[in-house]
Amino acid sequence: MMNFQTRREFLRRTGVSAAMLPFVWNLPSLAGETGSKRKQRLIVVFTPNGTVVDNFWPKTYDENFETTPILKPLEEYRDQMLVLKGVCNKVRGDGDSHMRGMSCVLPGKELFPGNIQGGSDTPAGWASGISIDQEIKNYLQSNPETATRFGSLEFGVCVSDRADPWTRMCYAGPNQPVAPIDDPQQMFNKLYGSMRDRETLQSILDDLTSDLKVVREMVSAEDRQRLEEHTDLVRDMERDLKSAAEQKLAVDPPALEEGVPNDNDHMPEITKMQTELLVSAFANDSARLAHFQFTKSVGNAKMKWLGIEEGHHSLSHDPDLNAESQEKLTKINVWFAEQIHYLLKRLEETPEPGGEGSLLDNTMVVWTNELGKGNSHTLKNIPWVLIGNAPGFRMGRAVRLDDVPHNRLLLSFAHSFGHQIETFGNPSLAADGPLDLQS
Amino acid sequence: MQTLKRKTFWKILQSAIAPIILIGGSVSAPCLLASDDLSTPLPTEDLAQPAVEAANERGKFLYVHQCASCHGTNGEGVADKYDETLYGNRSLDELIKIIHETMPEEDPDSVVDEDARAVAEYLYNAFYTAEARAKNAPPRIELVRLTNSQYANTVTDLFRTFLGHTPIDDSRGLVGRYYKSRSPRDKDKVLTRTDPQVSFQFGEGSPAEGIENEEFAMRWEGSVIAEETGVYEFCVKTENGMRLWINGRDNALIDAYVASGGEVAEHRQTIHLLGGRAYSLDLECFKYKDKTASVELRWTPPGGVEEVIPERNLTPVRARESFVVTTQFPPDDGSFGYERGTSFSKSWDSATTEAAIEVADYVVRDLNRLAGTRSSDENRNEKITKFLNRFVELAFRRPLTPELVQRYITSQIDQSDDIETAVKRTVLLTLKSPRFLYLEIPDEQTDDYDVASRLSYGLWDSMPDETLLKAASQGKLRSREQIRKQAERMIADERAREKMRGFFHFLLPFDEADHLSKDLDTYPGFTDDLIADLKTSLEMFIADVVWSEKSDFRELLLSNEMYFTPRMAQFYEVELDPEGGEYQRIAFEPEQRAGVVTHPFLLAALAYHQSSSPIHRGVFVTRRILSRSLKPPPMAIEFMDGSFDPSLTMREKVTELTKSKTCMTCHSTINPLGFSLEHFDAVGRFRTTDKDRPVDATSDFVDADGTKVHLTGARDVAEYAVEDPLAQEGFVEQLFNHSIKQPVRAYGADSLDQLVTDFQNNQYNIQQLLIEINTLAAAHGVDDVEREKP
Repeated sequence: MMNFQTRREFLRRTGVSAAMLPFVWNLPSLAGETGSKRKQRLIVVFTPNGTVVDNFWPKTYDENFETTPILKPLEEYRDQMLVLKGVCNKVRGDGDSHMRGMSCVLPGKELFPGNIQGGSDTPAGWASGISIDQEIKNYLQSNPETATRFGSLEFGVCVSDRADPWTRMCYAGPNQPVAPIDDPQQMFNKLYGSMRDRETLQSILDDLTSDLKVVREMVSAEDRQRLEEHTDLVRDMERDLKSAAEQKLAVDPPALEEGVPNDNDHMPEITKMQTELLVSAFANDSARLAHFQFTKSVGNAKMKWLGIEEGHHSLSHDPDLNAESQEKLTKINVWFAEQIHYLLKRLEETPEPGGEGSLLDNTMVVWTNELGKGNSHTLKNIPWVLIGNAPGFRMGRAVRLDDVPHNRLLLSFAHSFGHQIETFGNPSLAADGPLDLQS
Repeated sequence: MQTLKRKTFWKILQSAIAPIILIGGSVSAPCLLASDDLSTPLPTEDLAQPAVEAANERGKFLYVHQCASCHGTNGEGVADKYDETLYGNRSLDELIKIIHETMPEEDPDSVVDEDARAVAEYLYNAFYTAEARAKNAPPRIELVRLTNSQYANTVTDLFRTFLGHTPIDDSRGLVGRYYKSRSPRDKDKVLTRTDPQVSFQFGEGSPAEGIENEEFAMRWEGSVIAEETGVYEFCVKTENGMRLWINGRDNALIDAYVASGGEVAEHRQTIHLLGGRAYSLDLECFKYKDKTASVELRWTPPGGVEEVIPERNLTPVRARESFVVTTQFPPDDGSFGYERGTSFSKSWDSATTEAAIEVADYVVRDLNRLAGTRSSDENRNEKITKFLNRFVELAFRRPLTPELVQRYITSQIDQSDDIETAVKRTVLLTLKSPRFLYLEIPDEQTDDYDVASRLSYGLWDSMPDETLLKAASQGKLRSREQIRKQAERMIADERAREKMRGFFHFLLPFDEADHLSKDLDTYPGFTDDLIADLKTSLEMFIADVVWSEKSDFRELLLSNEMYFTPRMAQFYEVELDPEGGEYQRIAFEPEQRAGVVTHPFLLAALAYHQSSSPIHRGVFVTRRILSRSLKPPPMAIEFMDGSFDPSLTMREKVTELTKSKTCMTCHSTINPLGFSLEHFDAVGRFRTTDKDRPVDATSDFVDADGTKVHLTGARDVAEYAVEDPLAQEGFVEQLFNHSIKQPVRAYGADSLDQLVTDFQNNQYNIQQLLIEINTLAAAHGVDDVEREKP
């Protein structure tokens, strides 16, 4: 057998046309070809309402930083963690801080004027530019070596049914918000629906064939021919189903718990299901980018399972001096950190199909927020925590930056994927280029 | 007998030494003469060498002597010898090979090579293929599956049983509610009124007194009535925030609640709808600090033009939510001259699978509502099982035997881990079952449920409603009288209107008008908008006649009235009442217009880009109005306008073009009928001159039996047609075909005659005809009905 350095070379030398590509790049023997570039993935996790400053930010900014109460659940991954302080969302213009915090964080660009009135400021519409995750997705999808079935997947947990600047973070372009899917069943159907349908169809074939036989006996000899034709078609379908079933996935779809209501009280179960779906989608290489959105900006989850009856957003407005509220807010953020820990754990446990190591070796999780702090609605010092592995990021430390626009961090994400764009979002906020997080 | 005929035909052809020319033209249809029947093949077989005839003789001789003793004279098989039929779908070459190598069994060497070929060819064409059998067999009621439209209607109506139904009345427009705040709360409501359509430019102002211009909201509610089946594009044009829901409020079709960018935007989304039905519509719109406000609710119906949704398609009545299957099916077989479910192709089978999955997904998603339960209900499983029983019996259009309950429901539940999986399995199995897919499984005994289905598919192209099923369960579909009573009830339903509308779409050249356009230099103003008006005008006229009390067939051909919009009035230079509404019925001088044949939509569809086409019009009148058969053209000629002396009138050109004896076999019929419509130009405008000379629309039409009829124009054609027995019979047969989708002669040799006599005795009442057709077909083979006969 001939050896090819990369898949591209294989394609070039075997003369496979572009039209054939969707079939070829899914061949298992090619997927793990040595010499092909390592897969690289990014997950953006969003949690709302700012953080609890005292219980989040580390005391020191170096390799020896200590995990604070909110970061404690992630202690296990401290060596693969990068905590960034001083990265600020400097996008201004229409809309209140929540709206801009949410809808401008990934596009790094202003909102259009519009008719949605926030708690303050002028009304506004959708973001005026593409978000960084979609930008990177388009870059990967344009190259057959990195293109996947979906490119990116947008997960949500209890996002609410409203479509407005508080519920949308990802934008396929100006005025083109991407809705996260917050129903695990719907996400399952998107990923594995046709496979499950095939299984169900297979399970009814015997009954169908025997009833066709019964009906065949009921009709006249002249009409029997038609029944024969019909029976042949059912046999054809059986054959097709069989050959489709032989195409194997790298990992089986997760078994989702049935009948879990998609509501506030079941956030823990839904989070777990969405996480399993995300990990399996990555393992099956259905996408390289993912968005994971807990509720929405101004999200008011009532975390009764933590003994907290008040809504998250309501608590976030309480003054710093209200110790009870601060404690509850800390608990809420600790719970979010635990969910991220579970995601990291599952990525670490899942081997990289056709490659070496685990999914986590080739994935970076970015945890961010729409605000720095809930009661002040500041867009300064957005809590950015990067965990995992990506080129261009030296992990295992906390770094204090000097009031830099977050557009520069967005640029760093793009460059990490080899997408060497010079600017992103509002150009004046990206003028100094990507942040150097290597040295 | 068959052979003799073919030989005679061959001789005729040989004697006619004429050049083969092709009739075509710049009109959308490539072949002029065959334009309304493109599926008719040219008789190539009959042009073959006489040697083929000889080989066929040889083949038949060999078959009769070597094969028939085991396989039967017509391949039907012989008991105790070889009782399987000699029918199938192997290729001719395969058959030759099999015969050459293996037949006859006792002496395979006796029929080989050319003999094997001759035998194979004979049996292949005589009875082996389904096509051959169809050609040779006497008409019979065939086993057919649901057509595509029957499938879609059945699925929607099946769920109607669970979702409910609100009939639509004659009220039109939408309920509009106006609020003085940006959220439509009852306490802020200032005004409620009926708006004929949604098209408002408020500018910097406000919609009504008592409402400030800085913020306000509006809600429109009601239903949209879809006429055609297909993909509708809805468009809401506004610079403000809006949401649009179609068919239920679960998911907005368009959610542009966030106005963004300050510009007027056109928000578009498509949805597949089933024709002849209404779908709930909710439109919310609000302004908050935007500079200006405006809103337009527009749509593009399938094959139509984008327009503000007209008042006649909006109703303030709120339709119940319905389920519409969106899977695309391959087209039904239309080669009989009407669509029927006779082709069982792989693509059809895949479509039934895809549609079954679509339906199953919907059932699982909406299970609690459909089964009348909720997730916390402790009797949920029982309720769902009950729902499944009802679902399957409705899908099969009859009560279930214990065996069927076991196979389709109990066994699926037993084999599933949870009830949702069981539901999915049952729904898939049911929708893939021949008991659902076949219109009727013709076993020995016709029962009440067969009758119920025949009526509902005959009149509605859909499954029986609850009234019919109840009558069937009570044994009340036994006598002709009971059946007729049901048919009378059923024709008042919207679905009967929709099916009738489909019939006229088939009968008249609506399809030809699909890409209708004219040379805009010659006919400025003949735009897509105008064409859409013309189409609606014709449809409204037909519906008026058919659904009036008299429902008089003759009125369709003789009426001198038609509907005009202001746009049409301007183009055709007709005076309208400025206050008279969008569509106004205008009466013309009787000699100017006579029924559908002179409707400008039809005349324009049957014309060239720049000029009239007496041939297209003549062929249409011959086939569709007078129901005379025309052979496919023995030769084909292209009509090239440029090749004629430009001073010639269209009549002179056509006369010149078709003057040969061969042409005149058919054109002696076609031309006079076409010439009688020469008073109408390519866009159907009445004219008195062509090429500056007076139009000559007089001619002598000679009927097949030699009767000579002098025609002076369109009205004479119409008057001849309404009196003509063949034309009447043709109309009856075509309506039968469209309604029942089986050959009328399969219901008895005198069935057509009987229907025509009834039609005449009932003053040509179309509704009555439809009732009689369906009574006849539904009662066919019912024991008690047979006994009723003297």
